[in-house]
Amino acid sequence: MLRKLTPYLFVLPLLGFMAVFTYYPILQSVNLSFREWDFMSPTKPWVGLDNYRLLLTTRDFWNSLKVTAVFALISVPLRLALALAVASFLIRETAVSRISRGAIFLPAVTSTVSIAVVFSWVFSTDYGAINGFIALLGFDKVTWMQDPQLALYVIIFVNTWKQLGYDVIIYTAGLQAISMEYYDAAAVDGGRRFHVFRRVTFPLVMPTTYFLLVISVIDAFQVFTIVDVMTRGGPAGATDMIVNMLYRVGFTLFDIGTGSALAVLLFIFLIALALVKARVIGRRVHYDS
Amino acid sequence: MTRETSARALWLINGLTLLAAVIFLSPVLYSIWMSFQTSDAYYSGGVDFTLRNYDVAVGQYNFARYLLNSVIVSGIVTLLGISFATMAAFAFARFEFPGGNLMFGAVVATLMIPSHITLIPNYLTLARAGMLDSYAGLILPAISSGFAAFFLRQYIRGIPRALDEAAYMDGATPLKVLWRVIVPISKPAIFSMALQLFIAEWNNYIWPLVAISESDLFTLQIGLARLYRVNPGEDVIDWPLVMAASTITILPVLLGFVLVERHLVRGITMGAVK
Repeated sequence: MLRKLTPYLFVLPLLGFMAVFTYYPILQSVNLSFREWDFMSPTKPWVGLDNYRLLLTTRDFWNSLKVTAVFALISVPLRLALALAVASFLIRETAVSRISRGAIFLPAVTSTVSIAVVFSWVFSTDYGAINGFIALLGFDKVTWMQDPQLALYVIIFVNTWKQLGYDVIIYTAGLQAISMEYYDAAAVDGGRRFHVFRRVTFPLVMPTTYFLLVISVIDAFQVFTIVDVMTRGGPAGATDMIVNMLYRVGFTLFDIGTGSALAVLLFIFLIALALVKARVIGRRVHYDS
Repeated sequence: MTRETSARALWLINGLTLLAAVIFLSPVLYSIWMSFQTSDAYYSGGVDFTLRNYDVAVGQYNFARYLLNSVIVSGIVTLLGISFATMAAFAFARFEFPGGNLMFGAVVATLMIPSHITLIPNYLTLARAGMLDSYAGLILPAISSGFAAFFLRQYIRGIPRALDEAAYMDGATPLKVLWRVIVPISKPAIFSMALQLFIAEWNNYIWPLVAISESDLFTLQIGLARLYRVNPGEDVIDWPLVMAASTITILPVLLGFVLVERHLVRGITMGAVK
């Protein structure tokens, strides 16, 4: 009897906590997205699709969707291109390559809040490093984070700087998995460097690129910390990413219904992306064997 | 090209590569340097070495407490998280039981779930349980890692079953087999996963932000964000003090990173590149 129960006892702690803190909250979010509630009132009246309708007619929602989309459209290709270039350059297993890869990887495991604070200084108007250089060159100071035209690019820069090392690590593994035979064959054909990259390296590292592409789009739609610390979504909503809006609606405006509706929409979108990712990984595993 | 010039070219490339790496990290390196300067020296462009910023951050702004909170919370999350994941991974890898595949599917499904959907409901659950503003409130939502369970299950499946069977022959219980056979062999994988859990929890920001309002329970991340935001957007910030607090927040992970980078990289690439 006990023998039969054994596996259940082993999975119980994990699944128990998942039930309470992962599965139940999904259902609860969907439920709350159809209700109106402010954390306080004793009743949570059912309002049907009102929250969704409200969301889709709110300027804030379309703005944060646009900001997030622009963020993804710029930061994702930037991350991938930089990472592939750096990984190709540091591919050899020499001490210097390893140290440099380690240095680039460091921000990926470091506190995002610290990084956001450090770069708040870098980009600060009066004492920041960048304006310091600009002043040395004799130009006027730039208000990086207070300018709606610039603030999002600052956020993109900081996020790219932080995530680059992760992408480089993955690309390095992907590049190192390419069999030397292909390069030997290309060398016999007398391939030039760029030609070899275009005809051999790039196509063979494509599965890794797909993987990173999906991962970094998923990341882009979950950015929160850098924005919350550096600009709080401002100026004038210029950096208001979806999760920043979710946090504001839920935890500062206490509009649980609308916040939940936003969470559900984000959930559906990211699940769709995750399914794409699962297919990509599935194909790649197949590809390898 | 003679051998001599190519060796020189190699030195040059290596030198430039290292220089690029230093430039890449320069904002963080400079923030650490700045944290040891007096405010006066910093704002007047001089150099005046001091430990006062650390004294103020720890004494006046309670960063010793935040550090302790971060260590306690990340430590417990890692310990419980890795234990639960290892136990479940063992069951999924080694036992055929009714519902097992379904349960494993449910665990794998969590890999796709964005954490933000759980934010509001978990806040409500913990509020109802009276656990907001407590260590339990910080810890409990973070201890079920589907990724660690999935990853360790794949790893354990690679261990020959004959080892388990030999132990069962000697009369061992499943728990003993897990502890005496599986865990020692799986140490590298368990260690890699534990590191990832620890780093993720150490750097966690949004959950402590919503779950904690009592400043005695702030983690480093929340304490640092609050300290920096005393005067948001204005340049009356005491930058050297803020950088001291930031350095306290980065340093433990930074020091650990140097020791364990290899394990970390292996864990991440094993997860991503099959």
